[in-house]
Amino acid sequence: MTGRPTSRPAEPVALVAAGAVTPLGADLDAFWSGLVTGTDGISMIERFRVDDLRVGRGGEIKKLRVSPQGRHAGCRATLLLLAAADDLRARTVIDAEPERVAVVLGTALGGVEQLERALAPGGRPRQAAAALYDSPAHALARALGARGPVLTIGTACAAGATALGTGADLLRAGAVDVVIAGGYDGLCRFVMRGFDALRSLTRERVRPFDRRRSGLLLGEAAALVLMTREGWTKGPKLGRLLGHASASDGSHIAAPDPHGRGLEFAIRGALDEAALAPADVDFVSAHGTGTPLNDRIEAEVLSRTLGGRAAEVPVNSIKGALGHSMGAAAALEAVMCLLASRDGVVPHTLGLEEPDPACPLDHVMGSPRAARPRISLSTSLGFGGCNAALVLEGTES
Amino acid sequence: MSGSAVAAVAVLTGWGQGIEALPDDAARAAAGRAVIPMGRPALESERFRRATRECLLGVAAVDALLREADLSRDVVKGSSTALFYVTCAAYGASNQAFVVADALRQGQGSTLHFPYTAPSAMAGEVAIEFGLTGPYGILIGGPPATIDALWQATRLLASGRCERALVLAVETFEECAALYARGRWLVRRPLVEATACALLVPGTMSARYDAPRAPSALEALARARAGETLACAPLIALALAGNGREGESVSVTGEWRGRRAGLSWQ
Repeated sequence: MTGRPTSRPAEPVALVAAGAVTPLGADLDAFWSGLVTGTDGISMIERFRVDDLRVGRGGEIKKLRVSPQGRHAGCRATLLLLAAADDLRARTVIDAEPERVAVVLGTALGGVEQLERALAPGGRPRQAAAALYDSPAHALARALGARGPVLTIGTACAAGATALGTGADLLRAGAVDVVIAGGYDGLCRFVMRGFDALRSLTRERVRPFDRRRSGLLLGEAAALVLMTREGWTKGPKLGRLLGHASASDGSHIAAPDPHGRGLEFAIRGALDEAALAPADVDFVSAHGTGTPLNDRIEAEVLSRTLGGRAAEVPVNSIKGALGHSMGAAAALEAVMCLLASRDGVVPHTLGLEEPDPACPLDHVMGSPRAARPRISLSTSLGFGGCNAALVLEGTES
Repeated sequence: MSGSAVAAVAVLTGWGQGIEALPDDAARAAAGRAVIPMGRPALESERFRRATRECLLGVAAVDALLREADLSRDVVKGSSTALFYVTCAAYGASNQAFVVADALRQGQGSTLHFPYTAPSAMAGEVAIEFGLTGPYGILIGGPPATIDALWQATRLLASGRCERALVLAVETFEECAALYARGRWLVRRPLVEATACALLVPGTMSARYDAPRAPSALEALARARAGETLACAPLIALALAGNGREGESVSVTGEWRGRRAGLSWQ
């Protein structure tokens, strides 16, 4: 796709407001100010046992505000979602019939921490039910009073992007009037043990696209966006979702396709849905995990798809600041794109100091860059060969 | 053509292969058994040496579908075929095994087994086996999640973003039977392990997605004959309807956790 696309654009969908809870702070403002000021959200994990693991650090949220609705939740993932929902509702009103409000969430882990508890001595039946991966989404829907469709997207670490895309499809089809979409995942022993065993976690700092990068660190977060059809709500909006696509690698269970073909298919599909060309892209929010393989392949794909402009389109990754927040990552990155447009500043990639020559992109490094991207591309990859891309349009404040 | 049609559906359950194997009354046929299990498919490939039973069941369902539709693997290979994978609980066995191994400090297998705890691993194995590199979706939930997947497949077909779509569901229960015994309010009995796959192609029928208040006759029939198959139920219902082939109206519904979804081809 080097020329202008010929397809008719999909109906844009308004992203009205967002709410979040991240290792950088308790709400969206803390997330954004933390990114812009270069705050490091990585710390020693304290909430569960890590002393027998190679790496015991991650983006753990130390103080989580528990709303009255969450006092009996018990499940960390649900508590994260409820905290993000509180933040969202402080910024906007869900103004639709309950039956016309959908909840669409991406996750890599669902309520799996509850399985650890259910299988422990004295484990309770309710914990077993809460261990199902769709349980936190249903808990959020109940808390919001949403009685429309409740969807859980399981495309691993690309799930947050697919959730936003699926939410847009529900709106375009007229199936609902409001969608609360986003992603979440909590840190727990289960996932730390797994990634530790895979030797994917770095003992150093996370350095996306750096020549010294040696792996990722995990983080926990939840991010929610209120989406409507254009014109449904009046007043200021964060921006618009113009295009989305998801694609399979069909290559390997735990590693990306060596040529990044699935990611490229997703990027081209998202641009096609938006009826935009690579030349229209002003900014790329990369998946940028800090693993040697992911960053090289992603850089190669971006170079191919952006063509001659690859060296002049700003690219960042926020995983150096937060860790990899799995199901929440893509939703947070989409919100970051829109905040960059709003405020005219692109956060830098924390941990990136010596760009890898194998990743020849226009990295935003060292300090934030004054820029006001109109069209952003956000890319995501996940376990099982999942890929997703979003094309977003920001609005000035 | 801006519509879609269900070209074929393959069904494998704890009762046997195809809808012909389903009893008239699953509850009576279960004779008190809580779970009607399926065996591990005997697939020869060395690549499947570490794959979990649920992965192999997914591969077996797509193979059965291709036989049913008289298609070669080459037809579905590539980026023109979309894959939607749905499950409510098939990741439970691998999740439980990983938690138990960690608790017992049996860390040796973790490197190999952890990737298979992800629901996306099951879809990934199917995508690898059949060379599927097109549009991709994974939904987690009960019957409404499968209806959502069917609906998304119809949208992709209608917009020309794929030439065909596979909607695959897998449910396994045996390894976690003790947990399900503790969560009786959530799932009905008997729990019947199942895998099913539908092939959707462009057609002339339009698909309407809605939230009906009552179950369709097909939903009740599928439950009565197959038992509780969670995400597989709407695909079994489609098979019982004669695949909802071109020209025949068909409506599938499903309920889970108090929410109902429906999809009608008209």
